[in-house]
Amino acid sequence: MSLIIKDLYARVKDGAEILKGVNLNIPKGEVHAIMGPNGSGKSTLSKVLCGHPDYEVTGGSAEMDGQDLFSLSVDERSRAGLFLAFQYPVEVPGVSNANFMRAALQARLPKEEELDAVAFYKNLRARMKQLGMDPKFTARAVNEGFSGGEKKRNDVLQMMMLDPTYAILDETDSGLDVDALRIVSEGVNAMRAPYRSFLVITHYKRLLDYIRPDVVHVLYNGRIVKTAGYDLVDYIEEHGFDFVKEEHP
Amino acid sequence: MDTPAFNDADELSGKLRLALEQAEAEARLREAETPDRLNEDWRFGRPHIYAKALVSALESDTDNAGRITIQAPAACVEPMADDMRDGEMRLRSIGSDKILALHLKRFGKGICLCIDTVLADPIIITYETEGVFTPSTIILAAEGAAARIIERHIVRGSGLLVATRDIKAMAGADISLELEVSGESTSGSDQPRAMNITNIAAMDAQVRQLTRYSGLDWAREETVAEILHENTTIELFSANRLHGTQILDQHTRQIHSWGKSTSNLLYKNVVDGSATATFAGNIYVAPGAHETDAYQANRNMLLSEDATINSLPGLEILADKVRCSHGSASAPMDEEQLFYLLSRGIPRHDAQMLVADGFLADAVTQFRGSESDGNNTKI
Ligand SMILES: Nc1ncnc2c1ncn2[C@@H]1O[C@H](COP(=O)(O)OP(=O)(O)OP(=O)(O)O)[C@@H](O)[C@H]1O
Ligand SMILES: [Mg+2]
Repeated sequence: MSLIIKDLYARVKDGAEILKGVNLNIPKGEVHAIMGPNGSGKSTLSKVLCGHPDYEVTGGSAEMDGQDLFSLSVDERSRAGLFLAFQYPVEVPGVSNANFMRAALQARLPKEEELDAVAFYKNLRARMKQLGMDPKFTARAVNEGFSGGEKKRNDVLQMMMLDPTYAILDETDSGLDVDALRIVSEGVNAMRAPYRSFLVITHYKRLLDYIRPDVVHVLYNGRIVKTAGYDLVDYIEEHGFDFVKEEHP
Repeated sequence: MDTPAFNDADELSGKLRLALEQAEAEARLREAETPDRLNEDWRFGRPHIYAKALVSALESDTDNAGRITIQAPAACVEPMADDMRDGEMRLRSIGSDKILALHLKRFGKGICLCIDTVLADPIIITYETEGVFTPSTIILAAEGAAARIIERHIVRGSGLLVATRDIKAMAGADISLELEVSGESTSGSDQPRAMNITNIAAMDAQVRQLTRYSGLDWAREETVAEILHENTTIELFSANRLHGTQILDQHTRQIHSWGKSTSNLLYKNVVDGSATATFAGNIYVAPGAHETDAYQANRNMLLSEDATINSLPGLEILADKVRCSHGSASAPMDEEQLFYLLSRGIPRHDAQMLVADGFLADAVTQFRGSESDGNNTKI
C-alpha cells in the first residue's frame, strides 16, 4: 500500500511544462519530505495530485493504494483519502468554517446517514483546542480575514477532522510562529500511524527536526533529483542547493 | 344636539372626497400607459410579454383572491379602511403608474400596521394566492417605535401577486422589513409571478429592507426610498438565486431630500441557467441635501454562459459634501474557492451551492447585523 508516482509530466494548461518526469514512492506509514528551490514545482506536484484545474497531466501516472488518482474527480480523491494543506489556503466568503467541515464530513457518510452534529462539534472544538484556535473560528467564514498563520492552522484542523490516509503539507510551517510550529508538528506527529503517510514540503530544517521524516527528496526543475535519509536536510541547511544545480545544469 | 349636523357634514365631505379620489383614480388609469420596451424603466426582461400580461390580468380579474394571515400584537393592526386609499394614491412607482393605478382600483385588501412602541417579537404577515391578488401593506411607525416585520408572499401555480408597501417612519423609529417572495409550482407549466412596489419615507429614523425572491417565473421590484429629515439611515438589501428561465427585475431609488443622512444598498444575485437579473438603481441627492452618504452596489455571480445580467447603477448629485459610491460587478464563481471545497471532498453540486450561498451571505448578514445594532441601541 503506497502512493506511487511514475514519470509524471504536467503543464500549466496551454502553458509551460512544470513537472518533467517525477518519480516518487511513498509507502503507507512513512513520512517523506520534499525540499527544493523556489519555483521547482513542489506546489505544482501537490496540486496536480489533487486535480487542480489549472494543470494538465501530459504523461505518467499516480496510484494511491492501487487506485488511479487521475481517473477520480477532485472531490473523489479527497474522499479516497488524499489531503493537501495548501501553501496558500483560499478564503471562502460567507461559508462558515463549521458548515464547511460539516459538508466535508457529511460527504463521507452513506447517503441516508446524517452526520451526528453533537459529536461533530465536540470533535471540532477538541481539535481546535489542540491547535490553540479560538472557538470563535467555527462561526467565521473559511479563512476570510485570517492571518497567515491562522490559515495554516485552519488547514491542519481540516486535516485532523478529515483523517486522510495520504496527507500532503505544502509549506505549512511558513508563517507559523515558533509556538504554532511546535503545536502543529506535535499534531502531525500524533497523527502518524501505520495506515497513514505524510508528504511534507518545506524550506526549513526546523519543521523537519520536529517531524523526523523517513525519507528526504529534492525536487528540482520538475524532477526528483535526489533521495536520501535525514542527513540530506543538514547538508542542504549548510550548503544550499548548489550541488543539485551543478549536477543538473 | 350639534353632533348629528356635524356627522352629516363629515359624511358628506367623506363621500365627496371618495368621489374625487375615485375620479382621480379613473383619470390616472386612463392616462397611464402599459409599459413597453420604450419605457426606460422596462427596457429589460421582456416587458412586452410581462407588462401586458400583468395589466390584462389586473384588468380582467375582479376576485382579488388571496389569503392574509398576520401574527402581531392586536393593538398594532388597523382594519383596512377606505380612507387609507389616500396613502396608496400618493405612492410612486418606477415606470409602473399603470400598474399602480390598477392596484389602486382594487384597493381594500392588506394589512395596516400602526406601531407606536418597541416590539420585541417580529410581526409576520403572510399573503398567499393562486389567483390574482393585490394586497397593500401600510406601515406607520410612530416616534421611537421599533419593530421587525417579516412579510411572506406565497404564489402558487400561475398566480400573480402584486403588492404595494407604504412605510413611514417618524423620528427615532427603527423598522426592519424582510420581504420573502416565493413561487410554488406544482407542474412544469406553472408560472408564478410577483411584483412589489415599496415606498419608504423616513424622517430621523432607521429603516432597512431585505428582499428575497425564489421559485418565481417572473418578479419585479420597485423600491423608492426617501430621506425626509437629517439623521436618517435607510438600508436596502437583496439576495437571490435564479435558475432556469427566471427573470428578476429590480429597480430602486434612493432619494436624499435632506442632508446629514445615509442610504446604503447592496443587491446580490446568483444567476444560473438562462435566467435574467436586471438591476437599475438610482441615487438622487437633492440640492441642499449636504453631508449625505449614499452607497449602492449590485453584485452578481454568473453560473452559466446563458445567464444574463443587466446592471445599471446611477447617480444624480446636486448637493455638496456628499460621499457617494455606486458599483456593479458580475463574475463567474471563483474557481479557487470551488477547488478548495472540492479538495475537501465536498461534491461539486454541494460545493457550488455553498460558494453561491456564501456569496449572497453578506447581504443577509449586513441586514441582520444592522437589525441587531438598531435594536441594541433602542433597548
Ligand atoms: N498556474 C500557473 N500559471 C503559471 N505558472 C505557474 C502556475 N503554477 C505554477 N507555475 C510556475 O511553475 C513553476 C513552479 O511553481 P511551484 O509553485 O510549483 O513552485 P514551488 O516549488 O512550489 O516554489 P516555492 O518554493 O516558491 O513555493 C514556477 O515557475 C511557477 O511560476
Ligand atoms: Mg510552493
